[in-house]
Amino acid sequence: MRLIINGEEKRLDGEAWTVEKALQAEKIANLDMVSVQWNQAFLDRAAWPMTDLKDGDELDFLFFMGGGSR
Amino acid sequence: MSGFTTRSVHGERRGPEAHGSLRFPLYDSAAFEADSAKDHELTFANRLPKHSYTRLTNPTIEDYERRVQWASGATGVLSTASGMAAIADACLALVSQGSNIVTSKRLFSHTISLFKDTFGRFGVETRWVDMLDPAQVAAAIDADTRLVFLEVLTNPQLEVADIQAIAKIAGAKGVPVVLDNTMATPYLFDAKAHGVAVEVVSATKFLSGGASVMGGLILDHGTFDWKKAPNLELLAAKVGPAALIARLRRDTHRNLGTCLSPHNAWQLTLGLETLALRADRSCANALAVARHLEGLPKVVKVHYPGLPSSPFFALSRRQFPRGAGAVLTFDLPGKAEAFRVLDAFRVVRRATNLNDNKSLAIHAASTIFADLTPEERAANGIGEGLIRLSVGIEDPEDLFEDLDQALEKA
Repeated sequence: MRLIINGEEKRLDGEAWTVEKALQAEKIANLDMVSVQWNQAFLDRAAWPMTDLKDGDELDFLFFMGGGSR
Repeated sequence: MSGFTTRSVHGERRGPEAHGSLRFPLYDSAAFEADSAKDHELTFANRLPKHSYTRLTNPTIEDYERRVQWASGATGVLSTASGMAAIADACLALVSQGSNIVTSKRLFSHTISLFKDTFGRFGVETRWVDMLDPAQVAAAIDADTRLVFLEVLTNPQLEVADIQAIAKIAGAKGVPVVLDNTMATPYLFDAKAHGVAVEVVSATKFLSGGASVMGGLILDHGTFDWKKAPNLELLAAKVGPAALIARLRRDTHRNLGTCLSPHNAWQLTLGLETLALRADRSCANALAVARHLEGLPKVVKVHYPGLPSSPFFALSRRQFPRGAGAVLTFDLPGKAEAFRVLDAFRVVRRATNLNDNKSLAIHAASTIFADLTPEERAANGIGEGLIRLSVGIEDPEDLFEDLDQALEKA
């Protein structure tokens, strides 16, 4: 599957990818601090495991540091 | 790990420090090198959790902010150079030209000046109401109101508003409450449980403890949906609950340069660890001193919300179950008597700070409220004989003795 992650095109093997799995595959540290944008809109963390990705989706992982983005 | 002090002392335990240091190190460095140009690009775009420049973020400051977040249960925390910087940053993140702030007639004099003079020059209106009458808050809010601002305990009147009632009124109208919690701190007053959206604190006071450093805090409690805030609506659609912190970090706070110094963050982290102990002791001392003063003939009136004689006693017990703060005031017949008492103190120090380890006293009318006319002072409940006493952690018997001998000179 082809995704745009943090502005860069990436290929993930297979089809069954959720946002949560993509976060794990990208080895995103500080998961409690990250804000996720899915196709340029905010995605609540409760929705990460159940949001299926499709070819061409955009994902942005944003950090506001400190105590900043729970 | 659920207690305030345990959380303050230990933080989140995010793995061992490189050298096993029990204290998070002080990174007294302005800039941080990136591993690659690509990493630098991602860091500046907030896409990589790394540090680049201390005005934006710094490891020691981050550790302090996360420690405050962990102890307080806030959704997001940002530190600032002072308490006034916290107020200015938080409010500027929410207002714009043509909008208004609904606030209390009873505010710290520099906050009054910030709203009236500084914000006023940029076309932000301030509407002054009596927070003891929540109906006035409801009446003052309109479509251009961006926030309701009040202090947890007014200084020096020590009035206590029903914060939950005000937060409910503001929330129903889609307006966040910004609370200055300097007098109580997150330890003595649970702002989140009372519906407050944003808490600002002068960390210089109780958090620092020894009055050694300046600092401020902004805590976002996650109780307000930022999609309802006209100036944050678009940002909230992109970053959700982090909208206010994102606005501060990528705009208001970053651009104004109101950052905390790493050295101060390190000191304040140390202060946070003993905040509860010092606050408990100061509150107990304040109540004991207030009771003692009530029995002295030369004292006209004692104001402390923890006293049964206070009109705010019942509300204070509900809102501040751990103690009604460390500040009290008392009235003497006039300015001359107040000056004689202040000059006679041997333990209590003449200084303008509050919630210090040391007991501090000040004549409010001639110092922190000197800019007001006598009529304005009278309207604000600041008599010419009023002394504000911030009670420290000394042995109470020494404070009683000092007050007794000083009041003999009144």
